[in-house]
Amino acid sequence: MINEKIKISTKNLNVFYASKQALFDININLKENKVTALIGPSGCGKSTFIRCLNRMNDVIDICKVEGSIKIDGDEINKKNLDVNLIREKVGMVFQKPNPFPKSIYDNVAYGPRIHGLAENRESLDNIVENSLKKAALWDEVKDRLNQPGTGLSGGQQQRLCIARTISINPEVILMDEPCSALDPIATAKIEELIDELKETYTIVIVTHSMSQAARVSNDTGFFHLGKILEFNSTEKIFKNPDNKLTQDYITGRFG
Amino acid sequence: MNSKQKEILMRKRYSAEKRFKFFGIFSISLAILFLCILLFNIFTSGLSAFFKTKLILKINFDEKKLGINMNTPDEAIKASNFNEILQDALLNLDLLAPDLKKIELIDIVSIDATYELKRFYLQNKDQLNKIVEISLTLSDDLDQLYKGNFPRDIPEDRRRFSDFQLKVFDEQNSQNKIITEFNFSFFKNADSREPELAGIGASLIGSLLTILVCLILSFPIGFLAAIYLEEFAPKNKITEIIEINVNNLAAVPSIVFGLLGLGVFLNYFYLPRSTPLVGGLVLALMTLPRIIIPCRAALKAVSPSIREGALALGASKVQAVMHNVVPLALPGTLSGTIIGLSQALGETAPLILIGMVAFINVVPTYPIDPSAVLPVQVYLWSESAERGFVEKTSATIIILIFFLVLMNSSAIYLRNKFEKKWS
Ligand SMILES: Nc1ncnc2c1ncn2[C@@H]1O[C@H](COP(=O)(O)OP(=O)(O)O)[C@@H](O)[C@H]1O
Ligand SMILES: [Mg+2]
Repeated sequence: MINEKIKISTKNLNVFYASKQALFDININLKENKVTALIGPSGCGKSTFIRCLNRMNDVIDICKVEGSIKIDGDEINKKNLDVNLIREKVGMVFQKPNPFPKSIYDNVAYGPRIHGLAENRESLDNIVENSLKKAALWDEVKDRLNQPGTGLSGGQQQRLCIARTISINPEVILMDEPCSALDPIATAKIEELIDELKETYTIVIVTHSMSQAARVSNDTGFFHLGKILEFNSTEKIFKNPDNKLTQDYITGRFG
Repeated sequence: MNSKQKEILMRKRYSAEKRFKFFGIFSISLAILFLCILLFNIFTSGLSAFFKTKLILKINFDEKKLGINMNTPDEAIKASNFNEILQDALLNLDLLAPDLKKIELIDIVSIDATYELKRFYLQNKDQLNKIVEISLTLSDDLDQLYKGNFPRDIPEDRRRFSDFQLKVFDEQNSQNKIITEFNFSFFKNADSREPELAGIGASLIGSLLTILVCLILSFPIGFLAAIYLEEFAPKNKITEIIEINVNNLAAVPSIVFGLLGLGVFLNYFYLPRSTPLVGGLVLALMTLPRIIIPCRAALKAVSPSIREGALALGASKVQAVMHNVVPLALPGTLSGTIIGLSQALGETAPLILIGMVAFINVVPTYPIDPSAVLPVQVYLWSESAERGFVEKTSATIIILIFFLVLMNSSAIYLRNKFEKKWS
């Protein structure tokens, strides 16, 4: 296949919380403009892994990340790197929608403002409108941009958070169980959205739902006890996994 | 377990629940009862202080007796003596009074009456050489009698007004010459040795200035300290010790802060004694931990996902905290601060130590003017023997409670208003 460029690759990635090791020698390659799903039982280190990719683990004092993480071939797991620059490039959507205590407009405008992406009000308006459109939220909120973002429904809030993430033009979007707090209809909308977003962005999504992984992703990684047991195309993983444990997990025999 | 046993178990559970409910309601009712008794007590003895009793007198502004004329400048009027025309008017109340009783006649009005006349004349200079009816403040003892705070049917030697004064008073009363009006001077005047003149003007302004100094110092320092400790400080031994000490300081008896203020601000830095500046400094020290603690709690209550959301967008830590966490913590922060300040407003002991217990008979203007504060004024008046100070004591407590209720309800209002906005 063409366009199989590697966007992110990790080598011998080990993560520790104080003395407890959470990830063991993770070596995977994530492809550009593809959706990679990460599955596995609770506590196996999926969140820990994707939080390495935008250095969010720096926030946790006791967390120590060892090994190599390269984005476009550039090492990001080194000391004197400005993490804000990485986070500009690698956006993140969280499990629980977390809109800021601001209006819908200001929620989306926040990133462009702190990074100085808009020269004037007009271009900021454009960024906000485009981001909301890409997040498939524009039609629902265009008449109430000045109302608090917290007043939206859960699914709308999550799409607002996606709009917020894409407002600063990231290259990668990390999603940590973005639908686990949403109802099935809102979930379907987000899945649809992910399908559109992968044209522009490289997406890594953690999910508990096998069907979701099967529907939205190109590649799937199966985590177990801090190790990556199997990483392959989604088709292969769901039809004919190499590993017995993977088989058991996706068929619901444990998890 | 058969159904019989189950029924017994259920019945036990219900009666336990009922008992618990009963005890709860009982204790709340008891608390409300005590509160009502307290408020009733204060209001019944204090409300009368908001009114004062006056005597309407016919005053002759005789230019010869006053030694002034139409062209006399204000300065000279202020220096002239209005006592004579006042005494004439008072003696006119009972022309047959024997010489010995004349002094009693003169005493039925307050010593301020002559200044009331002077103030009236300064406003109405066209009244020169005219006879005018003017209401003048009665002496405290008759004021208390009229308000029913003092019994009339006790032997003459056990009350502070004579039978003769009582007779004149009753005559005037029957001619409707005794009136009651709202006691503005209670709010305007400073303290005085004469109960009918004493007011809370000085202590009200003093309290406001003191709380202002306290607010200006303790809020920014406490708020920033809370933000730093909660959001930025590394978690190590030093911050742990600081945290423990902040909690301990909040529990230190307030009088200790008074001693500290006495030792440091007065004796070492020689700041002016008895002033809102020093009072505010002392109260700020006391209030600081009481602000830091609720501010930290408010910051801690903000969901960490808000912080992470901002950080994941590439915001710096300061941006994440200032733009997104602080607005959410603001209502808790403000209400914590207001409650801390309302505690400071009622504080007495530390202010007594730094000399705010002095007798202050001028209303202060600046934080470096000697002044009184409301709770200390309550303390001072509660020590005075005159009947007139009793109602003033209660009235001052009413004012103090008014401000406390105002502050605490604004704290609740702020909390509700902002919390609704974001949730
Ligand atoms: N902040 C933390 N401090 C200490 N241990 C943590 C922390 N976050 C996660 N862990 C531990 O790391 C392991 C992996 O957790 P996580 O990455 O959250 O798993 P998942 O997202 O797959 O459910 C778990 O054993 C968890 O207890
Ligand atoms: Mg997780």
